[in-house]
Amino acid sequence: MAPNPRTRAALALLAALPLMLRVAPAAAEPVDDPLEPLNRAVFALNRVMDGTVLEPLAEFYDYAVPDYGKRRVADFLANLRAPVVFVNDLLQGERERAGVALGRFLVNSTLGLFGLFDIAARLGLPPHEEDFGQTLAVWGVEEGPYLVLPVLGPSNPRDLVGLLMDGFVFDPAAWVAPGRFRLGRAAAAAVVRRAELDPFLDELRARSLDEYAALRSAYRQRRAAAIRNGRVAVDESLYELPLEDPGEETP
Amino acid sequence: MSAPGCWTRRAVLGLLPIAAVATAAPAPAPEAAAAFVRRLGERAFAVLRRRDLDRAGKLRALEVLVEEATDLELLARLVLGRYWRRATPAQRARFVDLFRRLLRKSLAERLDDYGGQTLEVVGAEPVGRADVLVHTRVRGPGTGKALAVDWRVRRRNGRFVVIDVIAEGVSLLITQRSQVAEVIGREGIDGLLRVLEERLRRPGGPTPSPRPS
Repeated sequence: MAPNPRTRAALALLAALPLMLRVAPAAAEPVDDPLEPLNRAVFALNRVMDGTVLEPLAEFYDYAVPDYGKRRVADFLANLRAPVVFVNDLLQGERERAGVALGRFLVNSTLGLFGLFDIAARLGLPPHEEDFGQTLAVWGVEEGPYLVLPVLGPSNPRDLVGLLMDGFVFDPAAWVAPGRFRLGRAAAAAVVRRAELDPFLDELRARSLDEYAALRSAYRQRRAAAIRNGRVAVDESLYELPLEDPGEETP
Repeated sequence: MSAPGCWTRRAVLGLLPIAAVATAAPAPAPEAAAAFVRRLGERAFAVLRRRDLDRAGKLRALEVLVEEATDLELLARLVLGRYWRRATPAQRARFVDLFRRLLRKSLAERLDDYGGQTLEVVGAEPVGRADVLVHTRVRGPGTGKALAVDWRVRRRNGRFVVIDVIAEGVSLLITQRSQVAEVIGREGIDGLLRVLEERLRRPGGPTPSPRPS
């Protein structure tokens, strides 16, 4: 099947994006935010859009749909993503996880009634997440400057490339499903995700000193944890007390 | 492998761990730290379930629990990071005080959100110089999605203290520190103290984000 014009445009953009990526240097250094003024402007815009459209939709979904229904929707959407997870597992050389992802997709698409029920989890194949942004990270590509994308929110060049590759190249739906289905699925996924994040965002908004900085920090930490697949790796210097200047204070 | 028959060397090597324990800060056993976190969770949920206490009474009991399970001055210093060194003694004292009052305020605001959660310890491992990372799963009452929460625990002055809480890979300490750095970078340490004071006066609830300077 030939790619439609939208796919072709996305691929063209994809070809240009590697210019923004650099391969990571040996020592990881804290990434700064050179585009902060622009990012803050987009963040403010997103905040308005969230408050007027996405948040009310998510709250309505949370209120109107019983937990059982929410689980079916979440399982269904997760199953549609399974092929993307499978491809990225393979690209990262995670053969065992790739097997789990493939097994989950086969079991849930059939026994699980088109993915509505996560039967595989009960058969000892627990779900996991993977995307091309993480794959690039595993390959040694640096995240690049922090980006706040319109509508989509926190990101960086690496994750943006990942998003486009996953959505337009790795996802079988990009090649076989009609545009209307994909749009509806994306909208549903956005509402469900927003509903899941609601307690976190409420907390962030109520408690943060600087909501923008807090979200930036949380996004980077989440991504780093996802890339490590749960393995512990932290900057130990964080937990050391800063040394006093000599003579400044007696210990 | 040591040379056969060289029993003195073996004896000395055997004593080394004892000497290390005697001189260095003792690394707590992961099991002890895990028990501390488990017990902390049990006590907190027990307070929340108590029928004989009103809201203020529960809050008071939780505050005592938090004071026991943390070292607020240590936390404040870790949050301020390298800026602790630059702060004057008066600024430090002010920061620690505001930090404590803000923690109490957020505890009070969050009190009503609690209920029905369970905490299950799933593992513990030594990290860093002498800390233990205790892995737990916190399950909510609703859809029941378990949250992975790690507690970084340190032994200090003969008791365990929690120095960081990491929920789904997001560390509270790192998140707070990055915000503090952002505000100090923009407005200096006095500016940070002003923002904290303003935060203390404000009633709880979502707030608009600040404008870029």
